[in-house]
Amino acid sequence: MGAIGRFLKNIMTNRAMLLMVLPGAIWFLFFSYLPMFGTIIAFKEYRFSRDGFLASIFNSEWVGFDNFKFLFSTNDAYIITRNTVLYNFVFIILGLVLSVALAIILSEIVNKRLAKVYQTGMFLPYFLSWVIVGYFVFSFLSFDKGMMNQILGWFGAEPVQWYSEAKYWPVILTLVSLWKGIGYSSVVYLAAIMGIDKSLYEAAMIDGANKWQQIKAITIPMLKPLMTILTLLAIGKIFYADFGLFYQVPRDSGTLYSVTNVIDTYVYRGLKTTGEIGMTTAAGLYQSVVGFILVMTSNYIVRKYDKDNALF
Amino acid sequence: MSTSKKKWLLPLTVMLSASMLLSACGGKSNTGNESAGSGENASATELIWYTIGAPQKDLEKVEAEINKYTSEKIGVTVDMKMIDFGDYTQKMQVMAASGEPMDILFTSSWAFDYVQNARKGAFMELDQLLEDHGQGIKEVLDPAFLEGSKVDGHNYGIPANKELPAQEVWRFNKSLLEKHNLSIDGLKTLEDMEPLLKTIKENDPNVVPFAIGKDYGPQNLLPYDYIIEKLPMAVSLENDELKVVNILEQPEMMDALKTMNKFYKAGYISPEAATTTSTQDLFTSGNWFMDRAATQPYADNSWSQSYGYPVVSTPANEPTVFNWSVMGSMQAISANSEHPEEAMKFLNLLNTDAALRNLVDSGIEGVHYKKLSENVAENLPESKNYDMPTFALGNVMLTYLNPQDPENKWEEFKKFNEAGTPSPLLGFNFDPSNVSSELAALNNVKEEFWSPLMTGTVNPEEFIPKANERLKAAGLDKIIAEAQKQIDEWKTSK
Repeated sequence: MGAIGRFLKNIMTNRAMLLMVLPGAIWFLFFSYLPMFGTIIAFKEYRFSRDGFLASIFNSEWVGFDNFKFLFSTNDAYIITRNTVLYNFVFIILGLVLSVALAIILSEIVNKRLAKVYQTGMFLPYFLSWVIVGYFVFSFLSFDKGMMNQILGWFGAEPVQWYSEAKYWPVILTLVSLWKGIGYSSVVYLAAIMGIDKSLYEAAMIDGANKWQQIKAITIPMLKPLMTILTLLAIGKIFYADFGLFYQVPRDSGTLYSVTNVIDTYVYRGLKTTGEIGMTTAAGLYQSVVGFILVMTSNYIVRKYDKDNALF
Repeated sequence: MSTSKKKWLLPLTVMLSASMLLSACGGKSNTGNESAGSGENASATELIWYTIGAPQKDLEKVEAEINKYTSEKIGVTVDMKMIDFGDYTQKMQVMAASGEPMDILFTSSWAFDYVQNARKGAFMELDQLLEDHGQGIKEVLDPAFLEGSKVDGHNYGIPANKELPAQEVWRFNKSLLEKHNLSIDGLKTLEDMEPLLKTIKENDPNVVPFAIGKDYGPQNLLPYDYIIEKLPMAVSLENDELKVVNILEQPEMMDALKTMNKFYKAGYISPEAATTTSTQDLFTSGNWFMDRAATQPYADNSWSQSYGYPVVSTPANEPTVFNWSVMGSMQAISANSEHPEEAMKFLNLLNTDAALRNLVDSGIEGVHYKKLSENVAENLPESKNYDMPTFALGNVMLTYLNPQDPENKWEEFKKFNEAGTPSPLLGFNFDPSNVSSELAALNNVKEEFWSPLMTGTVNPEEFIPKANERLKAAGLDKIIAEAQKQIDEWKTSK
């Protein structure tokens, strides 16, 4: 009785908060926790059963770790892992530096109306689908009608077969990814900057600190917790590549695979014809487990140096 | 306080969501099969029918007419759901895997793969159902269709009665042929095309001489049958040895690819060919001279009609009956169907009843088409709101002729079907489950090399050895050995 009473009282006192959390909690339960039981498919040879999805899962045969084999069976495993991790690493570092820099610059623009225009302009690409971005890039890089080859032509240079020269693509993909993503992340940092107590800057100005010193001594330290959290979260996704970026933007060109094939595109190409969902589930589980380990390790490291900035 | 809160929160949310889940599931089953149609025969069974093609604006209107007809005739109504060509395979894979309720569904060798999904258990075995309720189908269908589409000795789908063999032709934009005074008589091989392509390239620089995209390949012209489409394991058509080889190691392939590479370098092929997914824009604008396509009797007529300008063609190889051409268009009954008998009755009617078949195909008479005579119809402007893929919806030979079509069109189809030579592999279906991880790796290597090689974008003498090395590393030899083993077993069992 006592426990139930306390519990009910507890709910009553926190009802507003609990109500606010409820939609999110339900969402997570349905779309993140319930599907977790599906990982069982990674260890089965999935075959349809006429009594629906659950029956299919139970009636399929156990195959142990067979479904994971295709990920590691060739030396492609090395290439796709290297590409996925290195690209994401570059995206995380450059994305962090550039979006913080952009947020600071935006916050320092005196003309607020102009600042809003820039911000909107940078935000826009975030909402475009990768298919559309792919065509944007194609209009630059098309062999006979692309803008890049025309510009090269004005300078008397030979046109380049962009979609079959692998060496340019690490740069192109990085540029495209940053162009698309940076507007969004800089808004997050901008919001944090807006929340910094203005009296800190006033005090610094009275002490004679210039803009650069203010940024170094106030803005960046105040942003540090947010930077750490967002980076930790990004590290958790380091084994997930952005499928659209690596599939749509290079137009699925075979000659570029050495620099564009990542885990997600590899799984798609390998299984799109056979549709073995056991093997796709295995790939997803592998990515999640590695991501989980990476988050735990990096959080552990952060906590060791600076307890307050760690996620948990 | 705070610990007790944490302790209770989880069970509470679990309970809450469980109850929501239950109510969601319960709701779904109620709205299922009972709410048939819009007020017709209340006792009619509603069948859910997934088929391929762009969703049509007037589908609902036509569906109401279909249901009026079928509920009277066999006590069945249908709920048609269309999924566009590009999405069909993936969406159906997910829906079949998750047990979405459905009764009839489109399947083929090129979309929602028939053999693989039959093996995975997506379709109901039809042998007995065909005996009981599908006698009409057995009468009208060329027996080669039902025989050729058996998987491990059983039928899992009803093939559409249409052209049986596959034949490739070279297609030409006729106005350009006339403009430059070119003749296509006696041309057959890829090499034969060179002087024509050269003339076009020199005199009409704005026209793409040889219109190809990334899916093009000379492999269909070589006398081989492929164990799996667009993967390099193949069996020669010219002898009965049934020996599985790597097509990229065959001298014919090297020669064909050298020619493609020569054409590419000469500028007869678009520099973007290896990444071009569709050449439709060229056909719309008419800025192309030549390409290659699969044909059927009087195909020139239908191409000319759909493009709006004359197209002519000349054969590029002999008609051959392949497994994949037999399974080019089928309707199957889903393994989870609750009304398999009704579904078979409906398919039987669809394949034998001209009124129903044309209603499904061309829409409502007087709205979407006008009848000119007993079996000839002309499209009305409204037909743009109901434009269905004719080949995908059962017996093609029941459909109305276009005014341009000759009266003996279906006779010619039958002749064409008889003229096809069966491939030595006809009736054999590879079971990939023993080599599925090798196949996944092989697919990746293939995607990397196939389009650049086949479109002539890269030099075959340099790239074929590279590709072969990578294919071997991915396990090609193991797949070839497995295929050979299965073929040998199949041969002895025959």
